[in-house]
Amino acid sequence: MTEQDHRVRGVDHVAFPTFDPAATVRFYRDVLGFPVVHSICAAGWGPENHPDFIHFFFDIGNDDRIAFFYYFGSSPEVGGPVGEKGDAYARFGADVPEYFVRSRHLAIHVDSEHDLLEYRRRLDASSWPVEMQIQHETIESIYTHDPNGYMFEITRAMRPVTPQEDDDANLTIDALLDVVAGPEPTFGKLLARKAELIVERVPV
Amino acid sequence: MTTLFVLDVPENISVVTVAVEDPAVTVGRRGHYHEISADGPIVIDRRATGCRHAVWYSCIAGVGRDGRITQHDKNALRVDPV
Ligand SMILES: [Fe+2]
Repeated sequence: MTEQDHRVRGVDHVAFPTFDPAATVRFYRDVLGFPVVHSICAAGWGPENHPDFIHFFFDIGNDDRIAFFYYFGSSPEVGGPVGEKGDAYARFGADVPEYFVRSRHLAIHVDSEHDLLEYRRRLDASSWPVEMQIQHETIESIYTHDPNGYMFEITRAMRPVTPQEDDDANLTIDALLDVVAGPEPTFGKLLARKAELIVERVPV
Repeated sequence: MTTLFVLDVPENISVVTVAVEDPAVTVGRRGHYHEISADGPIVIDRRATGCRHAVWYSCIAGVGRDGRITQHDKNALRVDPV
């Protein structure tokens, strides 16, 4: 239960390494039209033989930003051997399942289907066409991979989230914490615990 | 006795309407949840609901301890008494 006031104001920036700044600028600035809003040109310093680098930012709306680091003289092997799957930051063997590889991603919000389809149009005309367009429970998303292999999602809400869905989410989390505190958590145990919490807490 | 809770959101309505087509199944309310119950199994045909995959596979809010999901695939959802 959260009793503390909630003061944060969204994403300031999320940052990733890139080894291909030219394609990264093409993708974010030229294809998607995200303005370049900030950059830092820094000489390397510090104990770790830090390379000279450029840190550059694109506006993703709402004054939030996606940022990249380009390190002069470095190549993808700096993060370990090249794998069969993954991206510029994280590489995985061929045996790592796709759901896991795709689990960490950034999704950027748009307000309407019209806007979603406009970004679909921009991507489809580029070297990074939309790979999937999916309606989930209450959102619709388009996906592609950016030039660095990062999974990139743009999403819209098909309807507003209702207060009862927020309440339900809190019941889910309380049930989940109970189930993972016990042995061998399963989806079945979660649904059973959640049913108990509904009966305990929700008035008839 | 089997009991299934389904959150009352527009996407889930057809799950509830299909469930109650079985005369052995009753539906009540508990706050924002539909409480679907039966003495025996509860079986819901997926195609009859017309649910998209993401909705279909996430429509269950809870299953009472006297019931257990024995099928939840592209064809049907089935909850049997334990
Ligand atoms: Fe996502």
